[in-house]
Amino acid sequence: MGSVYRLTLRQLSGRWRLLITIVLASLPVVMGLIATMVDDPPSTEDFEGIVINGMLSGSILPLVVLAIASAAFANEIEDRTLANLTLSPIPRWQIVVPKLLGAMTVSVPFLVGSAFITSQLFYDGDMTAVLAVSVGAFVAVALYSSIFIWAGLMTTRAIGFGLLYVFLWEGLFSSFVGGVRFLSIRHYSIALMHGIDERRFGVGDNLSFAVAIGASVAVFALFLLLSIRRLRRMDVP
Amino acid sequence: MTINGSDAVIKVDHVSRWFGNVVSVSEVTFDIRPGITGLLGPNGAGKTTLLRMIAGLAKVSDGSITVFGESVRNNSDLYRRIGVMSEHETVYQFMKGREFVKMMARLKGVADIDTAADRAIGLVDLADASLRPMGTYSRGMRQRMRLAATLVHEPEILILDEPLNGADPRQRVHFQSLLKRLAAEGRTIVISSHILEEVEQIAETVLLIVNGKLAASGDFHAIRAALDERPYHVRLLSDSPRELASALVKLESVDAVNIDPDGALVVLSRNVRDLQIELPRLAKASSIRVHRVEPLDDSLESVFGYLVER
Repeated sequence: MGSVYRLTLRQLSGRWRLLITIVLASLPVVMGLIATMVDDPPSTEDFEGIVINGMLSGSILPLVVLAIASAAFANEIEDRTLANLTLSPIPRWQIVVPKLLGAMTVSVPFLVGSAFITSQLFYDGDMTAVLAVSVGAFVAVALYSSIFIWAGLMTTRAIGFGLLYVFLWEGLFSSFVGGVRFLSIRHYSIALMHGIDERRFGVGDNLSFAVAIGASVAVFALFLLLSIRRLRRMDVP
Repeated sequence: MTINGSDAVIKVDHVSRWFGNVVSVSEVTFDIRPGITGLLGPNGAGKTTLLRMIAGLAKVSDGSITVFGESVRNNSDLYRRIGVMSEHETVYQFMKGREFVKMMARLKGVADIDTAADRAIGLVDLADASLRPMGTYSRGMRQRMRLAATLVHEPEILILDEPLNGADPRQRVHFQSLLKRLAAEGRTIVISSHILEEVEQIAETVLLIVNGKLAASGDFHAIRAALDERPYHVRLLSDSPRELASALVKLESVDAVNIDPDGALVVLSRNVRDLQIELPRLAKASSIRVHRVEPLDDSLESVFGYLVER
């Protein structure tokens, strides 16, 4: 598995991809910095709603993970190098798991780092709140990675699929259609943040901490298994 | 249909593959035994699809394929014994040649990776360039380094799809002698090509695929002899077509002569070699100037078409 993991890290660490990731991951930090410097800082609810929930969890985090995780397989399919792996005497799960871990390894430092620094700035060193936001971001990275790895195997238009998913499902429907939050990674993430630090993200319609944990485990495992199944059944170009 | 002499290593049994309404491979059956087998056919004949199914990269729509008696699809352990080189240049541009070969050795479960990589790179004569990124390689070099990666675990079966694409004449000779050496060690090698001469020099046996069907199979020389017997159409332009036509029909090597409306002669011959010798003599004796001689059906498609019709 180590060879596939190292290969994935090199494939996903292209200069432009990392540069765009750094720029996007910096935006919440900049917002956090501004919020601490202005004379009339936003309320905690406003900051959580706009910067943590809307900007980080709702758009930057899924978009960055989409760009990284979907490329883990999609690029190999496009340049036809995937056969190098599938023609090796290793089970399919030993290809999918290191690909997923590789995608997460590239995303986590930037996105969880961004969540950590942003919350550290705004909550002024309140470590429970910082931990809650960081854990929520980490779980979201893991879940989105699992979904977008699968999307990269399913379609050559994984980016298009991902954008529709992020903006329509996670952004629009999960905000306005009550039941959709049970199938929304953004809501799992926010519920986990609230579960770890009950003073934060108490928006009223949160999922319970237990439901969020159970759903997160189920979604991660489901899409990991779907990816393994897909790699076993597909024609490898 | 059985190829070569000893036990079959690869068995293809009534295999078909279709994509929607398009049939790519249709009811193909053959066995492959140790030695070099050429898979020959024009572009689009279904060779690559067939090789991809044998390698387990693609599903069969119908029929079955076994390698060493086992289904190869989703049987990853079999890849310890199989080496596959696809027609595409599937290399990682950012990786050095030696790194690539070592990574493939690691993936294949080779014990002594450095020794295996050195040996494989030595076989393709690329040791000097092995520490350069593959993005800087010529197409021929990339093919050779891919071959080294395919050979690194010393597979018993080699499946090579158009491996000579991009190789210069010196590399071709080297490649051909390497394959002969590997076959002499008892390996089973399947090599595809759309160029007759490429396969003729190395394969003892051939499978001819045309329009997704097995058109002919067996000893290469017997098939080549059948090809030599086929009638050829040759187009001639001269200053006295009717006079030349009447002289040509008297030749043993000519079966028929037609005169086109534009005055060109179309000669049907089953012995083009004799016609080549006799035509200049005849033209000189009759004081006829021949401006142009061109074969009309020398394409691979016409060669395969002839074999299919027989």
